[in-house]
Amino acid sequence: MSLFAAATVVSSVAACGGGDDDSGGGGGGGGANEASDIGITEDSIKLGAHYPLTGVAAPGYSEIPLGVDAYFDYVNENGGVYDRQIDYIYRDDAYNPTNTSQVVNQLVLEDEVFAIVGGLGTPTHSAVLDFLNSEGVPDLFVSSGSLLWGDDPETNPYTFGWQTDYMSEGKIIGQYIAEEFPDAKVGLFLQDDDFGEDGEAGVREYIDDQIVAAVRYTPGNTNVGPQIAELQASGADFVVGFNVPSYTALSQLTALQLGYDPQWFYSNVGSDTELVGRLLANFSQGAVGDASVLDGMLTTDYLPTVDAPDDPWVQKFQEIWESNGDGSDLTNYKLYGMSMAYTTIQALQAAGQNPTRDDLVEAIETVGAEWEGPLLAPFRYSEDSHMGTGGMSISRLVGTTAEEVRPVMITDIGDAEIEEWDGEETAPPENGIPDEPAFNE
Amino acid sequence: MNVTLTGLTEGMVYAAFALALVLIWRSTRIVNFAQGSMAAATAFIALSLIQNGQSYWVALIVALASGFVLGAVVERVVIRPVEGGPELNAVIVTLGLFVAIQALIAIIWGSSFESFPAPFGLEGFQVGDSRIAFTPNSVFVIGAVVVTMALLIALFRFTRVGLAMRASAFGQEVARLLGVKVGRMLTLGWALAAVVGSLAGLLIAGGEFVYPAYMDSLIVFGFVAAVLGGLDSPVGAIVGGLILGLALSYVSGYVERGSALVNVSALVILMVVLLVRPGGLFASSVARRA
Repeated sequence: MSLFAAATVVSSVAACGGGDDDSGGGGGGGGANEASDIGITEDSIKLGAHYPLTGVAAPGYSEIPLGVDAYFDYVNENGGVYDRQIDYIYRDDAYNPTNTSQVVNQLVLEDEVFAIVGGLGTPTHSAVLDFLNSEGVPDLFVSSGSLLWGDDPETNPYTFGWQTDYMSEGKIIGQYIAEEFPDAKVGLFLQDDDFGEDGEAGVREYIDDQIVAAVRYTPGNTNVGPQIAELQASGADFVVGFNVPSYTALSQLTALQLGYDPQWFYSNVGSDTELVGRLLANFSQGAVGDASVLDGMLTTDYLPTVDAPDDPWVQKFQEIWESNGDGSDLTNYKLYGMSMAYTTIQALQAAGQNPTRDDLVEAIETVGAEWEGPLLAPFRYSEDSHMGTGGMSISRLVGTTAEEVRPVMITDIGDAEIEEWDGEETAPPENGIPDEPAFNE
Repeated sequence: MNVTLTGLTEGMVYAAFALALVLIWRSTRIVNFAQGSMAAATAFIALSLIQNGQSYWVALIVALASGFVLGAVVERVVIRPVEGGPELNAVIVTLGLFVAIQALIAIIWGSSFESFPAPFGLEGFQVGDSRIAFTPNSVFVIGAVVVTMALLIALFRFTRVGLAMRASAFGQEVARLLGVKVGRMLTLGWALAAVVGSLAGLLIAGGEFVYPAYMDSLIVFGFVAAVLGGLDSPVGAIVGGLILGLALSYVSGYVERGSALVNVSALVILMVVLLVRPGGLFASSVARRA
């Protein structure tokens, strides 16, 4: 059997013309592969995920699993992890928590996955948080910036966040405004749920006295006229939005109707210029400009984006996307998926050759904070915190490119200080696959 | 001020959709829940045309025509077999149709958000030194709805076809005895209602985003507006739509966290009106209700 596995590795490496001898596999190991836990066989690891592939949240988000899939495919071609091929199953929950429960049940009980990785959405993933933790299924790198995934590892020992949480993001935005726009009258445009609340709490730590209005919209109600009118009436000349991309487009459209032209600052979630531009594009026939209405907008980043084609990570992922993607253009969502998949490979390698589910969790807690990857700042993983990265830079959109106006700052939830991140920029490994040693060796 | 104007424009849109419900109610005595997805389907047909370089007006006409055909086909193929049975059967069939058509749209056009162009400008008019939430496109929406309402009133009041349609809806057998081709009238009623629905769908879409379920909340609001107005009065539908649009806009704009209360408020308004005037604000005499 092991002979057969070795032959597969050789042929797939030859097939993709790779020249790297120690591709995949992480640290040495040496012993034989065993079926060490549910979802792991001698030659495969089964991973599951839930994404909105249809419905209101599908635009953009449905592209994330394509990126994940392409990256895993690439890793598989290069020998997988400890000679195990990754079997990645993602299912559609249409951003409906009831569906999420159902598909995650199916993934855990029928497909018998080793771990869930990158499940998307705060309301959706909340629905399966208890289930996964009571079943002891590792619940890695949830695609949402809610504090739920990381601030209480005692209650949810198997769940880990990944991206910057909304509160830390709010703090970094708040501090930036306090220092650079001390005279601005700030309005907040918030999604009426945890997302908006966490962001607001973070921003208010720094500029509570500058805020003149806070309006909330309910996802699904597409008339934001009253909210934008209230911001305008309050005299706010600087608006911070914690909203999803379609509401970026709606708020821009409504502001245009009202002739309201403040400085806009959209948090990371709502700022995908490509998607917002596409949403606004058709209106150009109705005498509205296209994405150029976003010119001058401020936003935050925790990952390099496709707007930065010179970034070595973007270049590497671009290469992998071209060889293993579906032929479409690389987008920020696919880039997000590939980056998250990269971290997943780091975790699987660190968990060792024959890991149990608990090994995986322990590996992330023990060595996860040291991993280098595409994210701008390191993860905060430890036994006491399962929060993902806590760093963000701030950039301004100029034409179609983003210009950094503030370097990467790092912070944590609560009243933790904000500091400038002084680490070095990382570069991807030559073959684009991490090589982490097992945590317990 | 701007909250009021936003409310008026939204209200006109609800009214447009309520008109379609009223039309089908008057001509068939069925509440058509599938109206929303039928309208969405024609809006997507229009969008494909526009994206392929056709003008808005060509797309509008094609959409209305396809609405007419769709309405007629739906009546002949899906509704006809259950007509004459308990009215509830037909209503449940339209509910099923509503889901089915929506799924079909997602299969054909995908389920992502798309922006839908508006025929007129989306920048508010300048009044003094401030801009108001009233755009050239709002004028178009209001004009189109008022004209449609006038045409419907004229149809039912002053034409033989309108009379025949009403007769077929109230008493099929009596109408048939009097020489009215009831089957044809019912088909025509559905087809015309689908045209109005499709117009509403396009007016709503203009300058907004469309996706397969974009009509969902409008079905509810349109239905509330129609019931407010008494379900069989075109004028009532418009007044109902305006009342609802204004009320919801005020709730959203002036109540703390009002945006979340919009749907609840619609229900409260509906209940209050029905308690005070069970027939709706503009109901014709109770005796006429079938």
